[in-house]
Amino acid sequence: MAVGNEVRSACRYQARIMITIGHHDCRLSDDRETGERMNEARDELLKRLENEARLLRRNLWRALRAGGGGHAGGSSSAADMLTALYFHRMRLKPSEPDWPDRDRFVLSKGHANAALGAVLAQAGFIDDALLDRFYHFESPFGMHPDIKVPGVEMCTGALGHGLAIATGMAYGARIQNKSFHTFVMLGDAELHEGSNWEAAMAAAHYRLDNLTAIVDHNKIGQSGRIEELISLDPLADKWRSFGWEVREIDGHDMGQIVDTFDALPLKKTRPTAIVAHTVKGKGVSFAEDTYLWHSNSVDDEVHARALKELGGA
Amino acid sequence: MNMGASTTAPWREASANQTRLAFGQALLAIGERESRAVVLSADTQDLLGIRPWIANWPDRFIEVGIAEQNAIGIASGLATTGLHPYVCAYAPFIAARSMEQIRNDVAYANQRVVIGAAASGISLGVAGGTHHALEDLALMRSMPNMTVIVPADVNEAYHATLATLDIDGPVYLRLGGRTPEAPVTEDSAGFTLGRASRLRPGNDVTVIACGAMVELALKASDALKAEGIDARVLNMHTIKPLDREAILQAAAETSGIVTAEEHRFAGGLGGAVAELLAVERPTPMRMVAMPDEFAVVGPTVRLREKYGMSAEAIVAACKSLVG
Ligand SMILES: Cc1ncc(C[n+]2csc(CCOP(=O)(O)OP(=O)(O)O)c2C)c(N)n1
Ligand SMILES: [Mg+2]
Repeated sequence: MAVGNEVRSACRYQARIMITIGHHDCRLSDDRETGERMNEARDELLKRLENEARLLRRNLWRALRAGGGGHAGGSSSAADMLTALYFHRMRLKPSEPDWPDRDRFVLSKGHANAALGAVLAQAGFIDDALLDRFYHFESPFGMHPDIKVPGVEMCTGALGHGLAIATGMAYGARIQNKSFHTFVMLGDAELHEGSNWEAAMAAAHYRLDNLTAIVDHNKIGQSGRIEELISLDPLADKWRSFGWEVREIDGHDMGQIVDTFDALPLKKTRPTAIVAHTVKGKGVSFAEDTYLWHSNSVDDEVHARALKELGGA
Repeated sequence: MNMGASTTAPWREASANQTRLAFGQALLAIGERESRAVVLSADTQDLLGIRPWIANWPDRFIEVGIAEQNAIGIASGLATTGLHPYVCAYAPFIAARSMEQIRNDVAYANQRVVIGAAASGISLGVAGGTHHALEDLALMRSMPNMTVIVPADVNEAYHATLATLDIDGPVYLRLGGRTPEAPVTEDSAGFTLGRASRLRPGNDVTVIACGAMVELALKASDALKAEGIDARVLNMHTIKPLDREAILQAAAETSGIVTAEEHRFAGGLGGAVAELLAVERPTPMRMVAMPDEFAVVGPTVRLREKYGMSAEAIVAACKSLVG
């Protein structure tokens, strides 16, 4: 608890500074709160988000180096969508992480915590220096999200929990007449867990159109390609048959991501499933599209190679 | 079984002092001997070193995906047809999440299913509370028909896995993670189910340990020896069925008992020993185990120290019983 409080106050301080001096942070913490869209030209918006996503990838690799390794693959495939959520779509107050009306985000595939930590730092929820304490002794920033960290909504990491939790959050919003939207990001191999489909049935039954599930469909789990583990196909049809409104997108095309997020809910009375086609390890060639980089060691040399490809020093 | 000069056994090197990998190596020997053996993975093909099995016997391998409950249910069904399923899984997910499938479909129905549960205890230290398995012994030993084994090193893990060839019922084999288990058993020691092995003689006090804590118990015994205290060390590799005789004998011959395990206080090895002694022969006891809290993030060895699962803690507990 003490650890959580320490981080909480540190990040509040950080957030305040960023709000006064930062450009996009004003947007994030002010306009996002009221839900008003900035009158930012679309190409400007996409450029801003793409820059933020590039920084996110550099930051997540920075965390992986601090930890000596970790889940580069699933963190990188999620990076563009996380950026669009935190820097465009979600209504949040980094200076008040527990703001009751905030949109919710649950990282069900909790092993992508390096990416979540990076986006929380960039958005001003946590101190940027925490990224250098990934995996460290007594650090609140470990392999999986810890609810004690500001901005983290649930302790996830055991796969197949997040969709039910998000369903509960969305139902909670309805009962309390709140307008916040709940997002949950799922791994594709994670969908092997039957608990996902129990929650999928419930969310559709209760017509939770304030709930959006994003499937990071990178086609790879831990041991290999999902086709060779247990096939998910036809994945979009599965969601449809469970009563969800489905859209398939390129999860690295910022334009498609933004357009889809802006159109939510895709259909009134239905929860939305975004099946985002992605590349595991996206952005660093040696880590792309291979189960070997689901999780792997990252030393200074590997980090330098990754950073070179990500336009870093 | 006596492996003779088994330090050169091929499985040893492949196991790299990690019990989880010794399990996969033992499966290769089982595959040769037992055509009914079938291996199941829940997206855990590297965790227990079963890639060679998959290459050798692809038709006796079933990948079920990240679906631990399904893995246990399928294993139970396979067992009813006369096969001998070996489920390869993460301890934190297979024990708690599949508890009901294990209780009903495996233990209650008394099916011959072996669960290889890797990454137990706080071996996934930096992964945090979702990935620590500190309740699994309590869950698994609470069920009738279950056999529960916690090997201390690769030698024991290998032979305990081979011993499942002769166990006609459910088995939970608790294995470690990437932090190596130091060798503590003789190559020739083999494995006798339900029979604790005495690794150090001593009549002042007794340490009963399992898994990675056996090494620390030996260190503690050596440290105590230097101070003139003879601490007997029992390696209680089988948590169920418990070696009642060895425990009662230790209670009779020494002044008290210290248990040591990488598991919560509640319901583990210490609990099992206390349940026996409280009824049969009340004896002063101390327990070295994980306190009633969720562990912070950190490397396994540092977490053991932080939460008092250390040789120093065992020494202090022993002294408090003889002093
Ligand atoms: C219940 C459970 N079983 C097993 C694991 C171990 N595990 C962690 S990540 C992973 C693979 C996940 O693949 P996917 O969901 O496709 O995620 P991504 O490709 O986005 O990294 C596995 C098996 C776990 N964390 N939880
Ligand atoms: Mg995947």
